[in-house]
Amino acid sequence: MRSPRLLVAAGLFSLFGLWDHAYAVGVAAGTSIDNTAQVTYSVGTVSTTATSNTTSVTVAEILDVVVTLQTPSVPVYAGLPLQEMVYRVSNTGNGPETFRLQMTSTLGGDDFDPIAAVPSIYFDSDASGDLSPGDLPYAAGVNDPVLNADAFVTVLVVNAIPAGVVDGNRGFTRLLADARTGTGAPGTTYAGQGAGGTDAVVGTTGADGEATGEYLVSGVTVNAVKTQAVADQFGGTRPIPGARINYTIVVSATGTGTASASVFNDDIPANTTYVPGTLRLNSVALSDGADADAGDFSTTPAARVRVQLGNLTQASGSQTIQFAVTIN
Amino acid sequence: MINRTLKLFVAAALLACGFTTQALAESQGCVAVKTTAEIEKEVVNDKGEKSKVLVPAGKVIPGTEVVWTVTAANSCKQASEHLTINNPVPEHMTLVPNSAFGPGSDVTYSVDGKTFAAADKLTVQENGATRPARAEELKFVRWELRNSLQPGASAFGRFRAVLN
Repeated sequence: MRSPRLLVAAGLFSLFGLWDHAYAVGVAAGTSIDNTAQVTYSVGTVSTTATSNTTSVTVAEILDVVVTLQTPSVPVYAGLPLQEMVYRVSNTGNGPETFRLQMTSTLGGDDFDPIAAVPSIYFDSDASGDLSPGDLPYAAGVNDPVLNADAFVTVLVVNAIPAGVVDGNRGFTRLLADARTGTGAPGTTYAGQGAGGTDAVVGTTGADGEATGEYLVSGVTVNAVKTQAVADQFGGTRPIPGARINYTIVVSATGTGTASASVFNDDIPANTTYVPGTLRLNSVALSDGADADAGDFSTTPAARVRVQLGNLTQASGSQTIQFAVTIN
Repeated sequence: MINRTLKLFVAAALLACGFTTQALAESQGCVAVKTTAEIEKEVVNDKGEKSKVLVPAGKVIPGTEVVWTVTAANSCKQASEHLTINNPVPEHMTLVPNSAFGPGSDVTYSVDGKTFAAADKLTVQENGATRPARAEELKFVRWELRNSLQPGASAFGRFRAVLN
């Protein structure tokens, strides 16, 4: 008898609802706003028109940046060598600007200090949303991100989790970004240093921004207990060819964390055949096709049943999966 | 006076020949029109009293309110009649509601540059229905001087608009 395999993809969180909408404000820096008036009048019987000079004002550059955390509390375990935290750095000003990035993991208010990796800041160059070999490390002053108005870059801050932390411990890490042209109180002006030689003016963000993420040490254990009941075609319980085996698997999570996107997989035992239409989750029938419901039966590469259990926590309680096979 | 009449005659002839009205205006040049852009700045005097002054607007950030002033000055020895100043709201700017005024002038607005009326009388078509025009849809300001502009006199109109 094969034991069921439970695939727990920890750390895969849905990002829905977390995108921060940070829009740039206003007309692009450097734009010329022109005004020309016309006057018509009569002298005697002759009507005539005159046009004014054109008065122009130039749109100054607003220096604004917003840093937003893209991952909620990230579950980790003691001694985890590399764990990224995903941030987004957005230029909410109205002109192109270069930003400098910094990170820190020695912050108060938490239970442990994550250990900054070297290097500790990466660009999510391949837009995968996690640390992968294609991601470019950030080097201050070398590849500072240049962002157009309203543009953003996804940045990964990478830490190790120290050994010795225990369940429920939290550790903070922070990403900071500031405009290279300058920061300061809103309204601070950097004459002639804006896009196209216009003035640069510090916006409401102070031209710098930061966001703090949290690592949460989560011990979550997922257990699956499988039982079987044999019913032969003669009313008995002998495992003979043609007898049916009804399997029941009870899955439960224990601990403080979340087992994200948990998937239950079970290969159909050798010398048996799956009985179509017998897959159930918590007594609710699941169709055999790979479709909208959580379960499916597949014959490739090997015959198996699969049930998507989603995010499991201790509070989720037991999940009961059932299916049946016949002995060949 | 004879010289003046002659000038007018020549100008009229030039117009008939297809010259632009601008050429005509230059040839007459009775009323010179000028625009300026300013912003309000708060200043504090020796006594610590705050007041607002207008300073020239050079470089402004989005959200800034710009005060646009149009001045029409009559440099001729004759009065100018039916003087009308037209000023489109500059691109990328939104008119501040009810901000246009001009001493001795009737102020009207327009959405399309053709129909001018009081702001609350203007309408726009949307989805087959007519609704009142919103402030950001008023794209033109017009000042019509009630009386003639006397020799040496000036008229001015002013409006405020916010940089988008």
